[in-house]
Amino acid sequence: MYPAPFHYHRAESLEGAISLLAELGDSARALAGGQTLLVWMKLRFDEPQHLVDVSRIPGLSEIRQQAGDEVCIGALATHAEIARSAIAEALPNVLDCGSGIADAQIRSRGTIGGALGSADPSCDWPTLLHTFDAVLTCTGPEGTRTIPVSELVEDIYTTILKPAELITEIRFKIPPENSGGAYCGFKRCAPAYPTASAGVQLTLEDDICSAIRIALGSAGLTTITSQEAEAVLQGNPLTEANIDKATEAIVAAADPVPDQRGSEDFKRAVLRTLVKRAIDIAGRRCHGEIIKGHHEYV
Amino acid sequence: MSWIGKSPNRKEDVRLIRGQGYFVDDKQDYGLLHLHLVRSPYAHAHIINVDVAAAEALPGVICTLTGAEVKELMPESFMELGPEPAANIQDYPMAVGKVIFQGEPVAAVVAETPALAADGGALVDVDYDMLDAVITAEQAMEDEEVLHESAGTNKTWQGVYEYGEVDAAFDEAATVVKIDRMHFHRFASTPVENNAVVAEWKRHGELDFFCNNSFVGFAQQLLAPALGVSVDQMHIKTHDIGGSFGNKISNYTQMAIAALASRKAGGRPVKWAETRTEHLLSSGHGNERTFLDTEVALDKNGVITAVRSRHIDDCGAYPRYEPLGCVIWSQVLPATYGVRNFRIDFSQAVTNKCPAVPNRGYSRMQHLWFMERIIDICAHKLDIPADEMRLRNYITEFPYTTPNGCVYDSGNYPAMLEKAKELIGWDDWKKKQADARAEGRLLGIGIGTTLDSGTNNFGQARIMNPHLPFSGNSEVATIRIDLQGSVIVTLGSGPSGQSHETTTAQVVAEELGINPDLVRVRSGFDTGWNTFVGHSGSYASQFAVTGLSAVHGACEKLKAEMRRLAAFILEASEEDLEFGIGEEGPQLSVKGTDQAVNYWYMGNLVNNDNAVLAGELGDVTLNIRHVYRPPFTVPDVERKYGNLTLTYAAQLHIAVIEIDRDFGHPRILAYAAVDDCGTVINPKIVGGQVHGATAHGIGAAIMETFQYDETGNLLTSSFSDYCPITSMNMPDVQYGSIQTPSPFSYSGAKGMGEGGGAPLHTVSAAVQDALITEGIIVTDSHHSVTSVFELLRSKDESSGVQVDKR
Ligand SMILES: Cc1cc2nc3c(=O)[nH]c(=O)nc-3n(C[C@H](O)[C@H](O)[C@H](O)COP(=O)(O)OP(=O)(O)OC[C@H]3O[C@@H](n4cnc5c(N)ncnc54)[C@H](O)[C@@H]3O)c2cc1C
Repeated sequence: MYPAPFHYHRAESLEGAISLLAELGDSARALAGGQTLLVWMKLRFDEPQHLVDVSRIPGLSEIRQQAGDEVCIGALATHAEIARSAIAEALPNVLDCGSGIADAQIRSRGTIGGALGSADPSCDWPTLLHTFDAVLTCTGPEGTRTIPVSELVEDIYTTILKPAELITEIRFKIPPENSGGAYCGFKRCAPAYPTASAGVQLTLEDDICSAIRIALGSAGLTTITSQEAEAVLQGNPLTEANIDKATEAIVAAADPVPDQRGSEDFKRAVLRTLVKRAIDIAGRRCHGEIIKGHHEYV
Repeated sequence: MSWIGKSPNRKEDVRLIRGQGYFVDDKQDYGLLHLHLVRSPYAHAHIINVDVAAAEALPGVICTLTGAEVKELMPESFMELGPEPAANIQDYPMAVGKVIFQGEPVAAVVAETPALAADGGALVDVDYDMLDAVITAEQAMEDEEVLHESAGTNKTWQGVYEYGEVDAAFDEAATVVKIDRMHFHRFASTPVENNAVVAEWKRHGELDFFCNNSFVGFAQQLLAPALGVSVDQMHIKTHDIGGSFGNKISNYTQMAIAALASRKAGGRPVKWAETRTEHLLSSGHGNERTFLDTEVALDKNGVITAVRSRHIDDCGAYPRYEPLGCVIWSQVLPATYGVRNFRIDFSQAVTNKCPAVPNRGYSRMQHLWFMERIIDICAHKLDIPADEMRLRNYITEFPYTTPNGCVYDSGNYPAMLEKAKELIGWDDWKKKQADARAEGRLLGIGIGTTLDSGTNNFGQARIMNPHLPFSGNSEVATIRIDLQGSVIVTLGSGPSGQSHETTTAQVVAEELGINPDLVRVRSGFDTGWNTFVGHSGSYASQFAVTGLSAVHGACEKLKAEMRRLAAFILEASEEDLEFGIGEEGPQLSVKGTDQAVNYWYMGNLVNNDNAVLAGELGDVTLNIRHVYRPPFTVPDVERKYGNLTLTYAAQLHIAVIEIDRDFGHPRILAYAAVDDCGTVINPKIVGGQVHGATAHGIGAAIMETFQYDETGNLLTSSFSDYCPITSMNMPDVQYGSIQTPSPFSYSGAKGMGEGGGAPLHTVSAAVQDALITEGIIVTDSHHSVTSVFELLRSKDESSGVQVDKR
C-alpha cells in the first residue's frame, strides 16, 4: 500500500493553488482530505506526479448562515465539522448525512469539496446537496463561476470542472417553514460506502407537497433524480398511493450496479425501502416531529 | 489470599495501553531491508515468464526473487501433512511455473525502503497464460482440471468414520429426515495485526526470525528442512502478537521467503509486513465445508439415533496443515448429543482459492454447526420446540465416552440452557414472537449449543496420515529465582493476546503465597530460552491446561528445592516451613516463629555465595524447567478411535432476530451467551475471550464472507467489502457462566477461547425460526442481508429436505 513516487506541494492560498495546478497540468491533483485520492494512489489506480495540498488554505472551511437564509459551506469543511455545526443542528438531514459517512477517522479528514470533486456516486454529500438544489462556487485560472450541483458530474469519477478549477464553496437556501428533510443510507459497516442511500427534501402546505426533491446515491453511475417521481408528489398530498407511485418512479430511474454489496434486485429493494422511509421521516419533520434517522448498519 | 478466580489487572496492559507494545513492524535494525511480494492477479494460470530486470535496475532495489529461484534455493519443498497423493504436492512459498490462487506470490523485491520495494514490484513484468479456475470442492473432486500435477488429483484426503450400528438404527427409526445439501461458508477471524517477519540469515549460518507465528514449535519443524538448516541454527522470537486465531500458524511460508531474501541480500535483515488486502487475499482462510446427502434417524420421541452424511472440505490451493481438519472435527463427533451411530464419509479437495488455515473454532465449529442444523431442522419438521428437542438429546452423564472414544470430561448443558433462557427473558420473547407472527412479522429465537474441545492429542494426526511422527501433547514452563531473588517465568506458549502473563502470575502467586505483581513473566517466545517443545504454541484452546499445568508443575519442583534450601539455612525441618510474604519480601518462614529467609538471600546463596552450601544441596539450582504431558495414548488408526482431546468447554447462546421483509435485513434484538470452561482462573480474561469469540461468530454469521467469482477473483479483499464486525454491528451480549470443573486438569480448568463458533449455530437457528413460517429451511451458515434477501425471495418450500415417517 505504497503510492508511486510523487512530489508534494503545499498551497498557502487559493490563487497559489490554482496557478500551481495550472502550471503542473495533467500530472497534478488537488489534495484535500485525501480519503479518496490517497486510497486510489495507494492502490496505484492513480499515479499523479504532483499533489497540491489545498487543505491548509485559510478561509475555505467556514460553515455559516448568511443573509437571505443562505447556508454557505467552505469546500474544505470536513464531514465531522459539518456534522457538529449549527447548520446540522438546524437541519437534521445534514446531521444524518454527515455523521453517517464512513468512520470517525475518515470523517475528521475527508471534506465536502473532495466528496464533490471525486464525482463518486457512492459519496453521500452530493446526494444530499441535490435535494437542496445547492450551487457550487468554483474558481479557476479563468475566474469564478457558479455551477448547480446537478450539473457538476458528467460521468462516474468525472466532473465538468476545468483544469486547475477548484470548488471553493457550497451554497443552498434554508428551506421555508413547514419543510422537512431526510437522508437515509444503508451500509454494511462503518468503513464501508453505503449500499444505497436516499435523500428527500419536502415542503408541506396544508398537507399538500408544495416542494419536493428526491435523490438517490449508490444507485447508478451518477446521482439519480427523477422529475417524474417528483411530479407525482408535487401539488399532491402524501398519500400512501402517491408515495408508492413516486417511489416506483425513482426506483425505476435508478440503475444500480450489481457487485459484492448486492444484486441489482437487492439494491432496488433497499432503495425502495429507503425512499419510503425518507419520505416518511421528511413528512413528519415538516410537522416539527423530532426524529433521529440516518444510517443503518447490518 | 487465593489468586485463582480473581481478576487482577492484566500485566500486558501496562505496556499495551501505553503504546509500548513491541510488534514485528516496530522492529528497527541497522541495515534493515524491506520486502514486497508481487502477487498473481489470476487464480489459475501458467507463468510464462517473470522479468525482474527493470525492478533490479531501480536505484534502492537490492535484489529480487522469483518462484523458479526460490525452488533452486530450497533443498526441499515444504512438507505436506497429508498422506499420498497430497504428500507429493510441490509446495513452495512462491508460485513455481503455475499459479494456484489469486494473490499467490510470484516474485519478491527487496529494497532499502518499503516504498522502493513497492515501486520495484510495480516494475516486475509477469506473463501469464490463464487457465479455468476450479472454485468449489465438489467441482474439484471431478478432477477435470487437476491443480497440482505432482499429486495427479484434486482429492487430497478421504476416509470413512463409522461407529455403532448405523444401518440397523435407520431400519428401526420412527422418522428419517434427509437434507440434500448444507454449506458452511469461508471466512477468517482477521487479526488486527497482519502477518509480519524480520529474517536475518547471518553469514556464519545462523538464521534469526523475529515473527508473529503462533505455533513456533511446529513452524520450526517445517522451516528447517525446507531451508536446509538445523532447528538449532534457527533462532525464533516473538514478542507482542496482535491476534492469531490460528491464522498465524501458517505464516511460515512467508518467513521462508524473507529468510531466502536475507541470504540473497548478503545477510542483511529483511522485513516483510503484510498489508490488509494481502492478508485477506492470500494469508489463509477458515475452511469451508459442504455436507451432502445427510440422513438422520430419530425414534418416536424425537431422539436422534443415527446420522449418515458425506462431508467435503475445501482446503484452497495447498493442503499444508489443513488435512488435520479432516480429523479434528471428530473430537466433537456427536456434538452435545447422545447419538451413538454415525457414518461420515469425509473428503477434502484443493481449489483455486486461498489456502485454508486453522481459524478460531477450527474444524469442530463446522461440524458442530452441522449437528445444530440437524437438531433444528428435525425439531421444526417434527414440531418439537427447539429447547425441548435439545433437552431430549443432550448428553447428561459425565465423563462421557463418545462413539469414537473421546471422553467428555464434565458439563451440564440443561443448566446452561436454563441460565441462557433466564438471561434473555425466554418466556417474554416467546410471547412477543407470537404477537409478531400474528402481525406477519418474521421474528425468530434460536439456540446454539457448542463445544470448545481443548488440549489436542496429536496422535489424531495419525488417523489422517499413519506415517506422521506426532502424538500426545506437551508444554513447557521454566521458573527460577534469580540472583536478585526475583521470580522469573518463561513460557513455551507464545501468546497472541490471551493474557498468559497475567494468568501465569496468578498461578505462581497462588503456589508461592505471594502477589502476581512479584512474578515476572517474560513476554513472547524465544527458542533461545530453551523453554519449548514441538507442541509449543498458542492454539486449540489449551493454555489453561497445558501451559498452566507446566507452570504449576514447575512451581512444585521449585518449592521442593526452596524448602530444602530454607530448611538448611534456617536449621528447621521442611514440614515446619511455610511460603508467604514477610517484611523483607517473599520468603519461607518457620511456622509460629519470626525466623524467615527471603528469596534474595536464597537466590544469592545459590548463584553467588555457594561455598556455604552443604554438599547435599549441590543439585539445587532454583532454575526449573518442567514439561507437562497430558495422559494420552496413540489412537487406534484403523478404527479411528481414541481420546482426541482432554477437556470440553461448552457454550450455549440464544439470539432473537427479526428479519425485515423488505430487503432481508436481519436485526439481532437480543443475545445471551453462557459459558462453561470449568474452574475459571481469571473471570475478566474469560469474559473477554467469550465476548471476542461471540463478536467473531456474529461477524461470520451476518457479515463476513470470502466471496469469489467464477474466475477465482476474490470480491471481498478489503475491509470495506469484507466488512469485519465492528461495535456498531454488535448487539449487547447478556453474559453468564456456570462452572463444571474438569476432573482431568490439576485445577479443574478447561481450555477455552475458541468458543466453538456458537454464534454461527445460534444465528442460523434464529434465522431458521424466523423464516419457518415462510416454509424456508436454512442450509447455509452465512446470513448477510443479501443472502437472507435471496432466501426470502426463493421461498423454497422443499429446500432439499424430506421427512420420511415410518
Ligand atoms: C474506507 C472509506 C469509506 C468511505 N465511506 C464513505 C461513505 O460512506 N460516504 C461518503 O460520502 N464517503 C465515504 N468515503 C469517502 C470520503 O468521504 C472522502 O473523504 C471523500 O469522498 C473525498 O474527500 P477528500 O477531502 O478526502 O478528498 P480527496 O481524497 O483529497 O480528493 C478527492 C478528489 O477530489 C478532488 N478535490 C478535492 N478537493 C477539491 C475541491 N475543493 N475542488 C475540486 N476538486 C477537489 C481531488 O483532486 C481528488 O480528485 C469513504 C472513504 C474511505 C477511505
